Amino acid sequence: MTQDDPFAMSRRALLQSTLGFGALALNGIMAAETQNRPDGKPHFMPKAKRVIWLFMRGGVSHMESFDPKPALNEFAGKSISETPYKSVLDASKIRKLRIPIKGDANGHTRTKIFPMQTGFKRYGQSGIEISDWFPNIGSCADDIAFIRSMWTSDNNHGAQVQFHSGRHFLDPRVPTIGAWINYGLGSLSENLPQFINIGPRFFDKKDAHYLGPAYDAVNLKIDPNNPLDYAKPSNGMTTAEQRRNLELTNKLNRFAAEQYPLDPIIEARIKSYELAYRMQTAVPDALDFSQESPETQKLYGLDQNETKSFGQQLLAARRLSERGVRFIQIMHGDGAAGAWDNHSGLKNGHSRLSRQVDLPTAGLLKDLKRRGLLEDTIVVFATEFGRTPGSQGADGRDHHSFGFSVWMAGGGIKGGVTNGATDELGYHAVEAPHYVTDVHATINHLMGIDPHKLEVPGHKRLEMDFGHVIKDIIA
Amino acid sequence: MTRLFAIFIFNTMIANAGVEEYLRNIKPVLKERCYACHGALKQKAGLRVDSAENLRKGSKGGDVLALGQAEPGKLLVRLTAADADERMPPEGAPLKQEEIKAIREWIAAGAPVPQSETAEADPREHWAFQVPNRVPLPGNAGNPIDDLLEARLAKRGLKAQPPAERTILIRRLYLDLIGLPPTEEQLQDERRWEAIVEELLASPYYGERWARYWMDIWRYSDWYGLGDEVRDSQKQLWRWRDWIVTSLNENKGYDQMVREMLAADEITPRNLETVAATGFLARSYYKFNRTTWLDNTVEHTGKAFMGLTMNCAKCHDHKYDPIDHLDYYKFRAIFEPYHVRVDAMPGELDLAKNGITRVYDGNLDAATYLHERGDESKADKNRKISAAPPAFLASGWEPPKPIDLPLEAWRPDMQEFVQNGYLSQKLARVAESEVQLKKLKLDKAAQERKRAKSEGILPVKGEAILTDDFSEPRPDLWTVFGSDSRYQDDSLSITKPSLDTTYLRSKVKHPRDFQPELKSKMSGGQKWETTGIPFDVDESGDNSHFVYTSVFGAKVHLAHTIGGKDEYTQAVAKRSIKLNQIYTLGLKVRDRLINVSLDGEFLFAYTLPRRQPGAVQIMAYDAVTEFHGIDVWNLPAQVVLEKAGDAVTATVTAETIKLAEARLGLAKAEYAFAKARVDADNAALRKEGSGSAEAVGKSQIEAGLAKAKFDLFDSKKSAEAEKTIRKLEADLKSGKFPDREPLPFSQVSLINTPNKDALPSDGGYPKTSSGRRTALANWLTHRDHPLTARVAVNHIWLRHFGAPLVETVSDFGLRAPRPLHQDLLDYLTVEFIESGWDMKYLHRLILTSKAWQRSSSNLAADKKTLAADPGNLHYWRMNGRRMEAQVVRDSLLHLAGTLDLAQRGPSVTPSPDARRRSLYFFHSRDGRSRFLATFDDADVFACYRRSESIVPQQALAMMNSQTAAASAKQIAAVFEPNISSEALVRAAFSMILARPPAQAELAESLAYLKAQPKREHFIHALINLNDFLMIR
Repeated sequence: MTQDDPFAMSRRALLQSTLGFGALALNGIMAAETQNRPDGKPHFMPKAKRVIWLFMRGGVSHMESFDPKPALNEFAGKSISETPYKSVLDASKIRKLRIPIKGDANGHTRTKIFPMQTGFKRYGQSGIEISDWFPNIGSCADDIAFIRSMWTSDNNHGAQVQFHSGRHFLDPRVPTIGAWINYGLGSLSENLPQFINIGPRFFDKKDAHYLGPAYDAVNLKIDPNNPLDYAKPSNGMTTAEQRRNLELTNKLNRFAAEQYPLDPIIEARIKSYELAYRMQTAVPDALDFSQESPETQKLYGLDQNETKSFGQQLLAARRLSERGVRFIQIMHGDGAAGAWDNHSGLKNGHSRLSRQVDLPTAGLLKDLKRRGLLEDTIVVFATEFGRTPGSQGADGRDHHSFGFSVWMAGGGIKGGVTNGATDELGYHAVEAPHYVTDVHATINHLMGIDPHKLEVPGHKRLEMDFGHVIKDIIA
Repeated sequence: MTRLFAIFIFNTMIANAGVEEYLRNIKPVLKERCYACHGALKQKAGLRVDSAENLRKGSKGGDVLALGQAEPGKLLVRLTAADADERMPPEGAPLKQEEIKAIREWIAAGAPVPQSETAEADPREHWAFQVPNRVPLPGNAGNPIDDLLEARLAKRGLKAQPPAERTILIRRLYLDLIGLPPTEEQLQDERRWEAIVEELLASPYYGERWARYWMDIWRYSDWYGLGDEVRDSQKQLWRWRDWIVTSLNENKGYDQMVREMLAADEITPRNLETVAATGFLARSYYKFNRTTWLDNTVEHTGKAFMGLTMNCAKCHDHKYDPIDHLDYYKFRAIFEPYHVRVDAMPGELDLAKNGITRVYDGNLDAATYLHERGDESKADKNRKISAAPPAFLASGWEPPKPIDLPLEAWRPDMQEFVQNGYLSQKLARVAESEVQLKKLKLDKAAQERKRAKSEGILPVKGEAILTDDFSEPRPDLWTVFGSDSRYQDDSLSITKPSLDTTYLRSKVKHPRDFQPELKSKMSGGQKWETTGIPFDVDESGDNSHFVYTSVFGAKVHLAHTIGGKDEYTQAVAKRSIKLNQIYTLGLKVRDRLINVSLDGEFLFAYTLPRRQPGAVQIMAYDAVTEFHGIDVWNLPAQVVLEKAGDAVTATVTAETIKLAEARLGLAKAEYAFAKARVDADNAALRKEGSGSAEAVGKSQIEAGLAKAKFDLFDSKKSAEAEKTIRKLEADLKSGKFPDREPLPFSQVSLINTPNKDALPSDGGYPKTSSGRRTALANWLTHRDHPLTARVAVNHIWLRHFGAPLVETVSDFGLRAPRPLHQDLLDYLTVEFIESGWDMKYLHRLILTSKAWQRSSSNLAADKKTLAADPGNLHYWRMNGRRMEAQVVRDSLLHLAGTLDLAQRGPSVTPSPDARRRSLYFFHSRDGRSRFLATFDDADVFACYRRSESIVPQQALAMMNSQTAAASAKQIAAVFEPNISSEALVRAAFSMILARPPAQAELAESLAYLKAQPKREHFIHALINLNDFLMIR
């Protein structure tokens, strides 16, 4: 490896750099901001080093995943106002909503109670109730903290952006949690980007916004031959030819550096080539699943058609984590709105989608655990909102922003607990309600980041942007 | 005495401690939490807390400290109140316990006042809010920039770097002004510097290079939406981009550009080229929420033109600047009436394909209300807010006067090019139909002559192979499929339309050359209504050819079934097939040639790709059908068939002629109708000519009649058409013409108006405009406006020097400290205004300064200077800059000789194969160039200044992208293949880096080429050099 590396000489310099992976912003936008620019070190002792962020696009039904509601079966077919829980529809309780698309066919109050479309049972020593569509995640219940009291304020899929950034779709775009982590913490890797996105996005394809493109996620595809933009020479240059070219570029840049002493740009440019060169091999290597045992591949469901795609993404996530990637963001569910958006045929849709993700997700948790990685890796399983307790059409559920579930595991999170609760119908988060940024705050806290210290002049953050640490789920 | 003295000292010590406490622990808290409402900006309740002295003065209600009293004063009461409504500060968390404690102790210590503490200055005195003055120049350097900068360098004892090498400088100039690298010849240009500057300022590429900067600042974005739905920005917005390019090239004054962008529809309503400037406002269009739309307009009008963060006052008073909550909504009111529409442009009048996106005041009555805490659901409807700028800046503001618009503006269909365009379109259709009819008649005559000659004798039928009149079941002849057929009324009826092809299959095989004829009648179906004759049917039924008539498709068509799948050929004759009419479909098949006729009239000939004689079938697909008879004969050798041409020969039938005649009739009637409308419009609105509503009515009926007659040929419409004809003929006879005014031609453009509900019902747009945006534009460009010109000068300076004079380019408010070079900024600002806001004048001043021509290297720099000002705040050297994304790509292509320098026009799809300048790439929320994005391309939401990052993805793009690799190859091909390696290295260095190689560089390059002679790879290495990506 070393003799193939035209940059071998400068590796030491690289490792000493606090900026680490290639994110150098040059011009003076920063001048006003440089004094605040983070040094890459945590603000206090972290419990976790990295995050694997799994996001189910479209809105997972909380009642049929991690917050089962027997009352739905009891009152199936009745109107909510005919039940003892009719107060859930009180106008005062739904004022948090801001409607981005007026007159949309979706995002309405649905009052005719729709029974749960699958059963549920208790799992693990903790005995947490989980729907029958997630038996494998259920088997990991003792390692997971389920948050059953999330709320958001957008009744449409712009809420995907909101879950990542904390801001409503009608507000200006601000950095997402992944971008903040990337911005706040130094690199753990000398040859991989710190922030990776896998899978489709629609409502906002950027993360960093005013932090600058250096902090955006790098998009990765599970294709060792073409895992990212410009991953391979387009003109058939061989590795040897490329290496020779890089050697020349490198040497000529160093000669030029003599003409431009004290120029940080040349040094940064040389470093960026060095990283790019290594990335070319490091990324495909991280995606080379043949290095994994058949047993591990099976654990992630690589042997089954239904689970293979998501399983590969999660296995990639683990391999990238091991190699020092800070934040791996995986989006599940195609389409503009996202596949989980089952306005009709919920049973069919959710049972199929849960089969795609349940086994691989559990496989990821088990694999991280046995490798000792779960201790300092936070795994988040989230979605933009839940689905209505009432039916939409014959057999679907609409968007539901007043109460829904997500879960977190590893990296300093308590296992086998639930936090917060919705009412009997799953309508409102009534106990310990959490706005979406509470998840961000919890991650920041575990990663050793005080987000107030990262604030960029000219971009005032609001109280709600910071959220509150969900202390009860911290080990 | 002694005791007294001791107490005195003791008190002084307490007071000193108190002062220290106040400065260290109290004042910063007050500043952060309280000054916004109780400082220089505002004095709520008459209280100021921005100095100890002011605190002691108290509020309107008197003392707040209660010095020396047991009970706490109002200050502490309010700070510690349990009731959140009572407690101060009203927003955010209460003050911390230790902060309260410090205040309490300070008060207990007698609230000592620090020496020489000054209260906050009046924010209206902020440097940027003062009208700029031209300071006297300290020196005589010949250029005011050098005069002012050098005076400051001298004062600080700093030494400037010498000018850059001539070739480096020429490259810098080319990239700076036109965004394209110089050729070898241009690099060796020995003319005076000023001459080269002039030449480039006059270059059409200057406008493109600088347009992209302004497009960043003004948030240029092509449209975004799903399918045809426009969610963000607008279609045709590129006309605004072209207006920017043209305006810059014409050196239109910056003030005029601002006025046109904000109000060209009011100022020059007849000039569409100028009205395109309002794309600036159209760009903020946001489908889902009007408030979001106007928020964007307010925010970015404020930031782009004034460097004011108006947006900070959306929910509450501005925390720093003297802009209160109400000012925000006054500013919004300026824009409240405006909306977006698409008008026709000369040439293509179809607005889906061509047009101009522009704004207009569509809703003159729309009221503006204050939104409590910025929440649009909490609009205070008791108070209508009128349009005005922030009070502290209002000098020079003239209240808006409504503007009467010319006819062409509120009835864009009345523009001459639209009227003439529509009429000539209609006339063209008449001419086209005439030519078509004439040609068809000639063709028919020719075909008839030919057929008469070739047949000569009556067609002969051969021996009958299969004959059935379907009067009764004939299981000896047919295998029956499906169950929906029955024999009744002397025919075989398919009684229910079915999507399973229902058919009979002959038990006998037909010979290779044969001639079937099928008589049938369809009477209904769900959609397709098809019957026909499959032949060459094999045992499985999965392979055959078939010819069918279709009501839905209005055609006779030949298709193949191969392995159970249908494949449709180009052998088709358009023919209106009517329900309830018996047709005889006839085929003549000889070897691979087939002739198809309907009711004895030849339709087309075709060569089948393959043949395998089999059974004959009758089929009905989705059709209620009666089959009246089938005959299958041998095809005798003497029967002459029409030859298939290259593919298909269609024949001209009598019906084709009739259809063409009807089309001509329709075209003429529609022209007459259009002409009558134009005449009537001109008579009514221009008092010209003799048009009348009556003539319009009559021609409208005649056009309707012609349409109905044309529709008779369409079996789906014929029944309805017959009714229409009866009705319209009666109307015509009775002289009863429609009294409803026909829609104007611009109806399409009305449909393209997002707020069409707000439009007057008389078919036009509002006849007046509020004049609010004109008032805004005039105020902004008033010579005494302290911000507009300063902000523009700062932007231009930034793009020349890589560092602005005011760091926060979009915020000149109180958070922008007085800049180091305020004298220079103000001098240039006054020069700029007095030159007529002449941007080329400013470029010239900058580019001919010594400051701009300095070397960007620290090499041999004065040690003291380097130590004192490493960040180059004093411009003692030039700043090296990375090329912007567009310049990287344009330079690569330009050096490769593949850049298409065509100017203007619709945005092009970004792709590695695209050749236009990057400025023309489609640039929207989701449609951006990957290559450009890698190099910090402008954020479409807001980009007052580009980021300039160095990330590995850029290295990957330069190493691996097709754009870079193909350019390297093409650049390599520019050099003569037989020149020596050394000559190549020298030429390539000059071309790519604008300098000769140093000895070491030459040696290294030669060693490389010796080991690896592929020249394109060498070039590829050079374009990856930092010195290529940098503007040195």
